[in-house]
Amino acid sequence: MFFLHNLERRVTLHPSYFGRNMHELVTTKLVKDVEGTCAGDYYIIAIMDTFDVSEGRILPGSGLAEFTVGYRAVVWRPFKGEVVDAIVSSVNRHGFFANAGPLRLFVSEHLMPDEIQYDANATPPQFTNNADMVIEPGTHVRAKIIGLRTEVGEMWAIGSINGDFLGCLQA
Amino acid sequence: MAKTVRLGNRLRYPITIVKLHKSPGDVVQKEEPLFQYSFKWMKEVGDSIRGEMWEQEQTTSVHWNSPSDGKLIQWQIKEGQEITQDRPCYVIEEECSHEIQFQGLCGMCGKDMTETSWAQESRDTERATIRMVHDQNNLTVSATHAQKAERELQKRLLDSRRLSLVVDLDQTIIQACIDPTVGQWMQDPTNPNYDAVKTVKTFQLNDDPPKDRIWYYIKMRPGLEDFLKRISTMYEMHVYTMGTRNYAQGVASAVDPEKRYFGNRIISRDENGNLYAKSLQRLFPVSTNMVVIIDDRSDVWPRNRPNLIKVTPFDFFKGIGDINSSFLPKRQDILKSAKTNGVKKAPVKVKGEEEVTKEQIEEQKQILEQQVKERPLQALQDKVDKEDEEADKVTVQSEDGFESRSSSPPPQRHKVLFDDDHELRFLEEHLTKLHKTFFEEYDATVKQEPDAEIPDVGALLDNLKSEVLAGYKIVLSGVLPSGYDIYRSEIGLQIMSFGAELLPAVTRDVTHLVVNTAQPGTEKLAAARRYKDIKIVGLEWLAECFTQWQAVDETDFLYHGRHHAETAKRKLPGEDGAGDEEEEEGEDKGAPNGKPKGLKLNFVNTTAEDMEEGLNDEDQGLLPDDPEDGEMSPIDGLKTFNWGSADEELNEFLASGSSDDGEDEDEDEDENMDDEDQKDVEARDPQVMLKVPGDPDDTDTEYRLPPGTKPTKPSPKKRKHAEQDAEEGATGTDSEQYNTTGDEAGGNNKAKKRLKRIKSQRTSSLRNQYEQLGGDSSSVAAGDKSSLPTPVVTGDEQDEQDQRGATAKVAHVAQQQPEVADDEFEFDEAELEAEFEAEFAAAEQEEAAAVAAASAAILSSAAGASGDGVGEDKG
Repeated sequence: MFFLHNLERRVTLHPSYFGRNMHELVTTKLVKDVEGTCAGDYYIIAIMDTFDVSEGRILPGSGLAEFTVGYRAVVWRPFKGEVVDAIVSSVNRHGFFANAGPLRLFVSEHLMPDEIQYDANATPPQFTNNADMVIEPGTHVRAKIIGLRTEVGEMWAIGSINGDFLGCLQA
Repeated sequence: MAKTVRLGNRLRYPITIVKLHKSPGDVVQKEEPLFQYSFKWMKEVGDSIRGEMWEQEQTTSVHWNSPSDGKLIQWQIKEGQEITQDRPCYVIEEECSHEIQFQGLCGMCGKDMTETSWAQESRDTERATIRMVHDQNNLTVSATHAQKAERELQKRLLDSRRLSLVVDLDQTIIQACIDPTVGQWMQDPTNPNYDAVKTVKTFQLNDDPPKDRIWYYIKMRPGLEDFLKRISTMYEMHVYTMGTRNYAQGVASAVDPEKRYFGNRIISRDENGNLYAKSLQRLFPVSTNMVVIIDDRSDVWPRNRPNLIKVTPFDFFKGIGDINSSFLPKRQDILKSAKTNGVKKAPVKVKGEEEVTKEQIEEQKQILEQQVKERPLQALQDKVDKEDEEADKVTVQSEDGFESRSSSPPPQRHKVLFDDDHELRFLEEHLTKLHKTFFEEYDATVKQEPDAEIPDVGALLDNLKSEVLAGYKIVLSGVLPSGYDIYRSEIGLQIMSFGAELLPAVTRDVTHLVVNTAQPGTEKLAAARRYKDIKIVGLEWLAECFTQWQAVDETDFLYHGRHHAETAKRKLPGEDGAGDEEEEEGEDKGAPNGKPKGLKLNFVNTTAEDMEEGLNDEDQGLLPDDPEDGEMSPIDGLKTFNWGSADEELNEFLASGSSDDGEDEDEDEDENMDDEDQKDVEARDPQVMLKVPGDPDDTDTEYRLPPGTKPTKPSPKKRKHAEQDAEEGATGTDSEQYNTTGDEAGGNNKAKKRLKRIKSQRTSSLRNQYEQLGGDSSSVAAGDKSSLPTPVVTGDEQDEQDQRGATAKVAHVAQQQPEVADDEFEFDEAELEAEFEAEFAAAEQEEAAAVAAASAAILSSAAGASGDGVGEDKG
């Protein structure tokens, strides 16, 4: 689910950048540092704007200036039970991997409808119900997240396509 | 799925079951108490201060908590039961068996497997530990799941009557190379290698930033496409490579663009989990009964040797080897191909694994960079071209000497890349045979009892192979270093796997002695020669047998030894790669197959004639062609020539020719002579350095004739002296140079001096004559010269001076030419100078020409001015 989230971050600036447009530089640096990262259990998708750039404080010893920046960002936090669209990246005997934006998703064969079977003889190997559903690398699928785990800077999810309106998306 | 839970070892047995809280059919949750048990134990009670302590038996009652969610199926214990040891206690139907896990998440229920609970004895992540997916490292499955998956796989393969074939990439079915030269050759149809490289496929890896990307050139083994096409009907193929994932994918898409043969069954070192070894268990964790491997290295498959068919490494890009092998130990091939062309491999260091890995990654990077920079193939081609050129020169020269050539054919450039590999043909035969055998065996067993286990293809392979050389008794000679355990060496294992018996020493029973033709171990060889029946063959025979899986006819590979059948040996196939020794030997015998050797022969002959006939005539013929009229000097080819051996031979001849002429009597004189010569040389030295700046030794024989020699009206003795003097001049020059450069080559110098003395001793009779005839003038000259200060080369200034002097001399000579008869030496020297001048002028023509064109006044004045610098003129 997407949120507009107020966040705060300390940005340091090298002394060579001290000058009139310091605040702009701080914002640029913030965007560079933060956008597209995974912060715990959500991804920071985009920074809307910054507000409240604090006065710079020189850090003793290094001479860097530290600014505390408040900013507003669009974040995506995947939830258990959330339905996401994803693109299949690889298929193997036990299930398939798909990418929902930055999130890596694994859908095992247990979490597929019974009629979808693995076909090892196809090139490339695929999951198919021998009708309209063919899951191979590149296929767009809609899956429901049933498990999530996060580590620093990384998130993984287990998805399921066993349910109504889940599975292959007809392009 | 029902699972039986045991009590475990950690309880304080004996225990008594007090109460069962749940009954079969109840749903239980994790950490929920299932039953209550009690145990007895002794406790010390009393007053510890007063020391009144006694032990009392205590009874403690404990709950057993469920380690997992599920439904209770059945109790295997009952209330009131006393249990003395670990035993099964109940059966539970678990909600999820967590058999597929992805990064700590259960792939079936989505629960986090890294969470642990106090009720559990082991972590949930331990339920699924087997990695068996090609392209993922973080997807793990449980043993039961792996078994199930593999049974399905085997069933599917048996239904389509196929086996699994694990294929290595580098040097097995392709060879990769990143030398940009290949790219250029591919663009250039006139290149001699064009035919060989035109089918080379290229790709770039997309994991580098665009500007750093390098092209990979992939040469497929000849006949690969057909091979894959036919084999794919019998085998399901997997790629297993030590390259990176991207590399493997790049190669696979070059070899199999439609993914028909390999599909997505590609495993690389990124997923392998081990940089040093490959393992079939990574892909087939349960049973390898239906898996065959083809690889060019057997040492990377420590656990799966039975399933391996070792192929001869594909070595198309000479000297490149396997670009992904920097992690692997050095290969031990039975036939050492001419490799490691400037690409050194660092010795294996004993360090932490991670450090080594990092180092090796760095090393591989370096090797790759080196390849791009140094272009080993280009260098190789250049070398071949050069050899060609030289060979051409030789033919031109020799033929010109005797007959006039009508027309020379356009020079054919030799190529360095040969597209002549035939390994796949045999490999296909073997695989077909193996496939047939397997399914015959399988059909037979299935007929008997349908549920029988599938036959092991590894065992069948062993059987097939062991028939090949069955009954052969083989001894190796000169193949392995002494003290090496032959039964554990690569070659030994191979010999035994092909059914031959390997023996440590030659006995009567031995059928074959396999020798390393490059360095035959004489002891065993001699022993084997005593028995008529023992066939002495080269290693190539063994290699051919391994390739063809046949006892190849030995006739072509028989080793005759270097003593009696030198020529026959040369004809052996593949002999040219046998090593340096061979070549050296050829050189010693004076085999005239290269220009330098031919020249050397001439040289030797000349000396011999000189010595034996007293040489009254034909000095002209012996003297080399005038270097001025042909731009190709005959001595060009000598620049690379090994003069050390020539000198030795010369010594031999000299020794044999005239050692019986009085030696002792002349020694003093000789020494005097030496001294004089030395001075002589020293005096002339600046010129010498001026004339032959690059190679002082090599050219002097022809050019540095000393004063007193008359090329026009030669006298044999003088010619002789000229040669010797020249030789000594060379030595002198050497020493002089060492002195100028401040090099400490004293030992070398000394050796040369000694050599010189020996020479002079041995040729003393001639020297004597010379001494009598022309000694006065030359000694005078020498004495004269020696009084002059030795000019020290300082640089341009000196050069200029010399040059001016030389020019002046030319003018001088021109003036004096009419009266030459009077002043022979003057003329000779002048002509000699002119010769020198000519060569020097070739280098700095324009300047010299300008000076020569200047007026006589300038010249004469210059002559006057430079009189000091070129004092020997006056001599």
